[in-house]
Amino acid sequence: MSLIPIPEDRRFKIKLIGYDPGRSRPWLERFVYSLYVVAFWLFVIATYAGVPALFDWLGWDGGWGYVVMRALQVVMLFLLSAVIALMLILALRKYLGKVQERYGPMHYGPAGGIQTVFDALKLLGKEDFVPAAADWLTFRLAPAVTFVSSFAIFAVVPFASGWTLADSNVGLIYLIAVSTLSAYGVLLGGASSGNKWALIGALRAGAQMVSYEVPLALVFLSVAVWSGSMSLGKIVDAQLGVWNVIPLFIPFVLYVISSLAELKHIPFDFPEAESELIAGYNVEYSGMSFAFFFLAEFVELFLLPALIVVFFFGGWHGPLFGLEPGTLAAGALQSLYFSVKTAVWVWIFLWIRATLPRYRDDQLMEFAWKAMIPLALLGLVLAAYMRLIWR
Amino acid sequence: MSSTIGLEPVLGRSDEMIVNMGPQHPATHGVLRVVIGLEGERITRAVPHIGYLHRNHEKIEESRTYFQVVPFTDRMDYVSGTQNELPVVLAVEDLAGIEVPERAKMIRTMFFELFRIASHLVWMGTAMLDLGAITPFLYTFWDREIILGIVERTAGARMLPNYYTFGGVRRDLHPHFFKDVAEFLDHLEKRMPDYEHLVLENPIVHARTVGVGVLSKERAVARGVSGPVLRASGVAYDVRKAFPYDAYPEVEFEIPTSDAGDTYARFWVRFQEIYQSVKILRQLLEKTPKTGPFKGRAPARLKISGERYRAVENSRGELGVYVVGDGGDKPYRIKHRGAAFSNLQVIPDLFIGAKFSDAIAILSSLDPVFGEIDR
Amino acid sequence: MSLLNEVWQAVKAIGTGMATVHKRVYEEAPTEFYPYVELDLPPVSVQSLALVENEDGTERCIVCLQCERACPSQVISIERHRNPEGKGFLIDRFDIDLVNCMYCSACVEACPVSSIVTIQDFELSTYDLHTLKADIDFLHEQARRSKKWYSPKLGVEIRTEDGRIEKAPPEMQPGGLAELLKPAAEEEES
Ligand code: SF4
Ligand code: SF4
Repeated sequence: MSLIPIPEDRRFKIKLIGYDPGRSRPWLERFVYSLYVVAFWLFVIATYAGVPALFDWLGWDGGWGYVVMRALQVVMLFLLSAVIALMLILALRKYLGKVQERYGPMHYGPAGGIQTVFDALKLLGKEDFVPAAADWLTFRLAPAVTFVSSFAIFAVVPFASGWTLADSNVGLIYLIAVSTLSAYGVLLGGASSGNKWALIGALRAGAQMVSYEVPLALVFLSVAVWSGSMSLGKIVDAQLGVWNVIPLFIPFVLYVISSLAELKHIPFDFPEAESELIAGYNVEYSGMSFAFFFLAEFVELFLLPALIVVFFFGGWHGPLFGLEPGTLAAGALQSLYFSVKTAVWVWIFLWIRATLPRYRDDQLMEFAWKAMIPLALLGLVLAAYMRLIWR
Repeated sequence: MSSTIGLEPVLGRSDEMIVNMGPQHPATHGVLRVVIGLEGERITRAVPHIGYLHRNHEKIEESRTYFQVVPFTDRMDYVSGTQNELPVVLAVEDLAGIEVPERAKMIRTMFFELFRIASHLVWMGTAMLDLGAITPFLYTFWDREIILGIVERTAGARMLPNYYTFGGVRRDLHPHFFKDVAEFLDHLEKRMPDYEHLVLENPIVHARTVGVGVLSKERAVARGVSGPVLRASGVAYDVRKAFPYDAYPEVEFEIPTSDAGDTYARFWVRFQEIYQSVKILRQLLEKTPKTGPFKGRAPARLKISGERYRAVENSRGELGVYVVGDGGDKPYRIKHRGAAFSNLQVIPDLFIGAKFSDAIAILSSLDPVFGEIDR
Repeated sequence: MSLLNEVWQAVKAIGTGMATVHKRVYEEAPTEFYPYVELDLPPVSVQSLALVENEDGTERCIVCLQCERACPSQVISIERHRNPEGKGFLIDRFDIDLVNCMYCSACVEACPVSSIVTIQDFELSTYDLHTLKADIDFLHEQARRSKKWYSPKLGVEIRTEDGRIEKAPPEMQPGGLAELLKPAAEEEES
């Protein structure tokens, strides 16, 4: 007798599933992915038009009612950011798959459509482990700091005219303040992990932050000078005729580069550099804490391209086909324009990620201090000069 | 402690951080462990440790007959398959005076060069992975897959085929072999510009590799490196030319060398070697007879006395073997000379003073394979 | 000016790289859908070992111990006794430790009667290594399951629908044998 007989049905058992991912069903793929897009769009409409309309109808639009309404909007945005993260992770994996001549996720849901949901569930089910050498409070706080600082950018992003949480007249300063905070999360998380790789990653994040933040601030300044306002809504309004990318070409290029650095995205992903520092600052994180770093990364992957669109590509502007601005239909259409433009930029970022190898951190610092800052100053001077002449 | 760590913390140097790179590290191509002293990002000291994949090849082989030795050698440099078998086969053929038919020599050389391309494709993918680009890795592995498919159709296995034997090869070529290889070479020639765009011409690769990890000619010779690493330092030494074996005297090819000695030069030399391999394969496809003997007469039991060193130029450099026979059917002593092992000797030279990120690039340009290093 | 030129070269190179990558989006992925689609392995491919019986169920193996001697990993262990009724030997035990086998097919080359053969069944992966300590029943079972197998002496053999063992047609044979059988086909090929 065989020691243990081979079970007859073990071979090819998997064939019984009867599901063949090899069969090409592009229409199904497109349908599943467009569901995400529709969900995203509905969330945006519900957040910015639905919730205020609801409170209007209830008559709670003053005093505490206003506070509750804003709070509800923030909750909606949190859900929206979860949708964005799921969508972008799937997009990243599918796009990398296409580019790399493979298929990406195929098995969960039609054409792999709900793979990321299961990934999120898996992360939820994992133990959230704090290493003995870690500093408990800081270690716990760091993912929250990172996520909140990325999420807070939502407050000033205009999805359509008037569709923003706070069209603050110091929006740009707020942006600088908030986006700098996200580097703190990385710094704290890496330094408190009690792991040498994480520490190196954190140090790299700090070094990277001081190099790209300066040109970034100068770019913001050029945009503000050219548009004559620090409010993001007004900046978009000012681009009705011609998009900022034409007059502000130098700041635009610098902004794209520093966005890549801020995202810790592929040519500049030194803090996590998986082939050098294993996973860098988040090497000790697991479970939900890790998920928050992940969520923050993908929310930023949406928000920084969105800011590129706001600053340089005319935000929500697009043909309205005679719709009255300010109505629901016009708002929906505008938010669609905005999302499509953002999607194009997200795609470009993913494309860069699929192509390029990693730079070296000291080379980025050199590049930032020796090339980007002088160029940013040049861009600022040009912007001011052009404004004097043409406006 | 110094025996296990290899690096003692220096008293009074609180600014030096000692980290263990490996044995589980994504960029160490297996199980290398380098203990590194870091001062910020700069490496002050580096001590490599090997042996995590040690399988006692030489001792096992000494207790096996000559025929049984051959399949073991496959397991050394597992990305270049049949290349490992050749030194043992050549040495034993010399000692036992076995005649090899011309066609068998050509078949051997074709497989040898196919595996050189396969190995360099793997190197290209993993080196780019170390530099942070994921995509070339998958492209090169698809192309390597074609080579493995061709090898499988003839030799019966993909990576560790145990195909060479004393007096020739074990099996005749698959009838489609010539067509397959010709098709693959056409395909590869179409792909090579893509790889050049993604690797050699990429400005970020330039920034990461040019002038990084310079290995001077003298240092390279003193450390005993060979293969692309040596040729990138300007020494035109190639066993295929210096001590020709098999069908190499009958084909024309050049030895690409570079004088720069830096990481980029090592990248460049490997690229040129792929082109040279394509050239060699094209010539052999023309020259090799479609039919004919693939194996000479070899005795069923080999009794060998005498000693012999034979070397071949495998993808990593000079792969040699020293066989001592005492008249029995088992070798008295077998010593492998691994190219990757010798190339690894330059790690302290190149690492010290480099940035940590550079260390990764340098290591990938040395292209170590730990099956062969640890043996 | 040279600086501008350098910048232009860098931008151009990055652009070419990105175009190179993008080109592949339109190419079909060469993925094989293995569990859903059966792999078509060449008949010489060494994936596992089997011990072939004759059509009438008698043992093909003559228990000559050649395979045991040839095995470099020394994973074959055979015990035999003299056949009381005739000449030759009978098998007491025929074990192959497939865990430590390295699929070099040296045993297959050594076998004088092509009893031990290579097959293309690679689905033996298991959570329990003991299942891979193959004894003679296991090896017979492997042979009974497989439709075709290979040994250097007899080439590729197939099991027909009605259970007979036949030599495979020349187009299924690996190199050499195909040429021997059909020299004309080779000429058309080239
Ligand atoms: S294939 Fe090789 S290792 Fe396996 S049993 Fe046969 S001779 Fe031994
Ligand atoms: S070599 Fe063949 S015939 Fe001899 S014992 Fe092994 S399987 Fe049986």
